[in-house]
Amino acid sequence: MKLTNHISKYVIVFIMALLSIIPFYVLLYLALNPPSRTMFDGFNLLPDFHFQNFSSAWKSSKLGNAIINSLIITVGAVLTIVLVSSTAGYSIARFKNKWNSAIYSTLLLCMMIPAIIITVPLYTLMKNIHGINSHWAMILLLATNSLPLAIFLYTSFIKALPREIEESAIMDGCTYFSAFWRITFHFLKPVTASVVIISGLSIWNNYGQAVFFLQSQSMRTVPLAINMFFQSYGAQWNLMAAAAVIGVSPAVITFLVFQKYFIKGITAGAVKG
Amino acid sequence: MIQIGENTLMLLRRISTHLHKFMSLPAILLFAFFFIYPLTQGIGISLTDSNGIKAASFIGLDNFVTFFHDDRAMNDVKNTVLFALGSAPLLNLFGFLYALLLDRQFKGKSIVRTIVYLPAVISPLIMGYIWYFILQPERGFLYHMLNQLHLVFLSGDWLGDSSSALKVLVLVNVWQYVGITMVVYLAGLQSIPKEIYEQGKIDGASYFASLRYITIPMLYPSIKINIVTNIIGSLSVFDVILALTDGGPGYSTESLSIYILRMLYGSFTGYSTAVALILFAIIIIPVYVFLRVTKSKEYEM
Repeated sequence: MKLTNHISKYVIVFIMALLSIIPFYVLLYLALNPPSRTMFDGFNLLPDFHFQNFSSAWKSSKLGNAIINSLIITVGAVLTIVLVSSTAGYSIARFKNKWNSAIYSTLLLCMMIPAIIITVPLYTLMKNIHGINSHWAMILLLATNSLPLAIFLYTSFIKALPREIEESAIMDGCTYFSAFWRITFHFLKPVTASVVIISGLSIWNNYGQAVFFLQSQSMRTVPLAINMFFQSYGAQWNLMAAAAVIGVSPAVITFLVFQKYFIKGITAGAVKG
Repeated sequence: MIQIGENTLMLLRRISTHLHKFMSLPAILLFAFFFIYPLTQGIGISLTDSNGIKAASFIGLDNFVTFFHDDRAMNDVKNTVLFALGSAPLLNLFGFLYALLLDRQFKGKSIVRTIVYLPAVISPLIMGYIWYFILQPERGFLYHMLNQLHLVFLSGDWLGDSSSALKVLVLVNVWQYVGITMVVYLAGLQSIPKEIYEQGKIDGASYFASLRYITIPMLYPSIKINIVTNIIGSLSVFDVILALTDGGPGYSTESLSIYILRMLYGSFTGYSTAVALILFAIIIIPVYVFLRVTKSKEYEM
């Protein structure tokens, strides 16, 4: 009885993992086949390992440039988010007053507003500040989009931290401001890892805003480049798949590096909130 | 060397002791500039016949009236609500079951967790293209597998058929985001002290009894976060549909956010902004009702 229980548990877990991984397999399969072989054939589930696809896809989709743009925007925005939302979270969690709680509830309300609502006025705004086709404006805009969730995570996490960790520093003559940077900030690593993963991925994958505000070819980010590629190359599945593999791998690798902190951060950030 | 006078030093010290009061200022400034300000502008635009180019004139609530008389818009409201009614409960159910299973001790647990989360890492646009290839009739991976297993009669043009396309989109969406829901439930499960379960066991509680009386009530914060984010996410669904069906066949999978985008491209700027505000209302009402209903529950526990 116990053994069958055990086996069925593994079977279920295996099916779960399989379901999640099949599309990745299909993507890799396509990316590694020559153009003549995009169909699946028999039970032969191994591709031809036709690595040339990657270099031709790289050249024709100008992915290198797109990856650089995506990196600049993602790193810039994530740094902004961590700095701005950890400080805001600290002040909301530690100094209870009407002002701070008003900010907090406004942010939570705004989490429910789909970004598409402000597209039109935002376009005028971006034009007026000369932010169309520029890295800095995209960084600030995408950082703002992720602020509510990041501040929410930081606030909940800091609320759960004991005040004593700062208090001794403040007794020694530290200001609250420097106590935050010197002491509290170091305790925020798990939630910072979650914020980096969650906001970093949504910024790396951002399509909705990029398509409006990064129109020049030289400013294209990865999702834009891949989408252009899909639209202009018709049925060349193997090249498109190779481009997609290249485009998603930085995100996947970063996630795999940070993922061990991830659940920890969510636990402390979201659940204690 | 710059000589700093006693007074300047005093002033600097005073500023630095009060610095913490301004720590949320950068966040507020960013948010006000890139969100609140455009939002208020948007409310203004929604009351005009703006097409983005010529000077717009004020037309009051006409855009909102037009919306409720537009058959396509009403069809899209229906699609959006149906999508959410499918997606949000399924995501929560599977996210919860996945978390229960992967909370147990077994070999390879963390690998499976990572794999289940992985789809959420990929841009929904690319994911959409992959699924498009999997689901293609007579060529796709699924058709091929069914063919090999002599189950080809089960296959069909799921995305091309207006009766099944929306259901397929719901399933793809659930597949992609079940990992996120699962992680939040896992986090909740891990914060439940094990002693409570031991006490329950001593009192003779079965697995299902402890699930009903310990796990679910203790998971309340996770349930709340997941349901709220799933309602918001599925009512504003956008890129999964864009990549897989582009709203088709016909308008059978067009969601409100896709409709807003189409109107925007069609230069109905004022109208599309008005529809966007209606979408916000459609999102906030169920969220508000849910939070209200569960608030009274919170006191009971």
